[in-house]
Amino acid sequence: MIRDFLVWLQTELGKGPGEYPMSWSEALLGSLNFWGLLEGTHLLALMLFAGTIFVVDLRLLGVTFKRTPVSVLSDKVLPLTVFGFVIVLLTGLALFYAKPLVYYHNIWFRAKLVFIVLALLNIVIFHRRVQRNISDWDGLAKPPGAARASAAISLAAWVIVIMLGRFIAYDWFECGKPLPDWANALQECAASEKGAQTLAELAQ
Amino acid sequence: MTPADVFPELRPWVENLVNVWPAYIIKPQFAQWQVLHILSMVILGGTSILINLRLIGVGVTNESPSEVYRNLRAWLHVGVVGIVVSGVLIGMANAERLYDSAAFTVKMLALLAGVILTYGASALAAKADGRVGGAAKVFFLLGLAVFAVALWVFSTGDLINPGMFHAITAAALVVLFVTRGPIRWIYLVGLTALLVAQYVATHIVIKADDYERLDPVNIAFAWIFAAWILGVAAFQTVVAGRSAEGGPIAKAIGYATILVWVVASAAGRWIAFA
Repeated sequence: MIRDFLVWLQTELGKGPGEYPMSWSEALLGSLNFWGLLEGTHLLALMLFAGTIFVVDLRLLGVTFKRTPVSVLSDKVLPLTVFGFVIVLLTGLALFYAKPLVYYHNIWFRAKLVFIVLALLNIVIFHRRVQRNISDWDGLAKPPGAARASAAISLAAWVIVIMLGRFIAYDWFECGKPLPDWANALQECAASEKGAQTLAELAQ
Repeated sequence: MTPADVFPELRPWVENLVNVWPAYIIKPQFAQWQVLHILSMVILGGTSILINLRLIGVGVTNESPSEVYRNLRAWLHVGVVGIVVSGVLIGMANAERLYDSAAFTVKMLALLAGVILTYGASALAAKADGRVGGAAKVFFLLGLAVFAVALWVFSTGDLINPGMFHAITAAALVVLFVTRGPIRWIYLVGLTALLVAQYVATHIVIKADDYERLDPVNIAFAWIFAAWILGVAAFQTVVAGRSAEGGPIAKAIGYATILVWVVASAAGRWIAFA
């Protein structure tokens, strides 16, 4: 069902009546500069978002700004982080919209979504549970274990998200190529336009 | 202006770089080194923006500029060294493409300007809590001159000049973040009016596929946007006046150092497109 929706999104939505009608998704992908501007903005916003969240995580780990209360640093830095995240999200959605089926059948993209969810869950847990008694440790140079664990998870998750995001551009596990069964299954290659080819088939 | 235009005699050397150690080791691990490059950019982005926003007078204002710098300088060094080392390695493995890329010229010029502004001007001003000495002023002017050349190559290079959008947009957002009160609202109204005027000019007055007529109009609007943003930034910088934590020059150093890294990063991305 998701794939059917993405096929419609990529090939039908916004399709005009002209001689060579293009959907909005195809028009975006084929645009002279818009794709490049989106990718560039995605990267710059990532630098703002991840760069500032790393600073807050380093404070929670007791590595930097040890004399600044956590709440004070968060209040000053997190507005920048949130702004960066909104731009990353909007440009990311637009980039996905330009070739949804390619991303849908991409193992790195799927893994990236999993780690984004993990990172966001970590933020929710931090704000709902870890931060509840922040007044007890706000000024400590080295916050308690739960806060440090949350920061370490955040750092690791966002580093992995960035790594997986870069790997999406590479065709190591592209559907249609001879792949291990697990890779074909994880990215649903059988349902993709290029189909699934296994390593066993290649050996025959 | 590509490196090949400036150093045409280097082509045989550049073509052979991929066969030189460690390029032939890096080549099969290109993606992994790219990840290190991006992570370094992220670290540089986070630290640089916080240090330089503080110089402008916003951001982590509960700490002095010298304290913000002292807390972040190690990570700033990690970011700068990281982009240079990973950049040299992935550059060697991809040298032929970079040699014919005008965006790469922009990136190298902006990188040079970024290092000069960061270590020659911004770091000195931050360490002195906004006081700008003679050496910092000289490095600021030198960095600005190199940055101006980078912007000139970026804005006049075929196929890469749309990348100036990033520089102008980043400048617009930094000024929006920095300004306060009535100045912010006047600035925002001006920006909105310019956006509407550009849309009308490039979608209604001129058809969206009439590139021949659109190009000069878009370039003119880029200049008008830049003038409006810089004008408001200059007004804000002067109106803010000389405070205990630095005057207009320290703030100008903050603006320039943020934007130079934006341009270096954006140009790096545009290597892939043109």
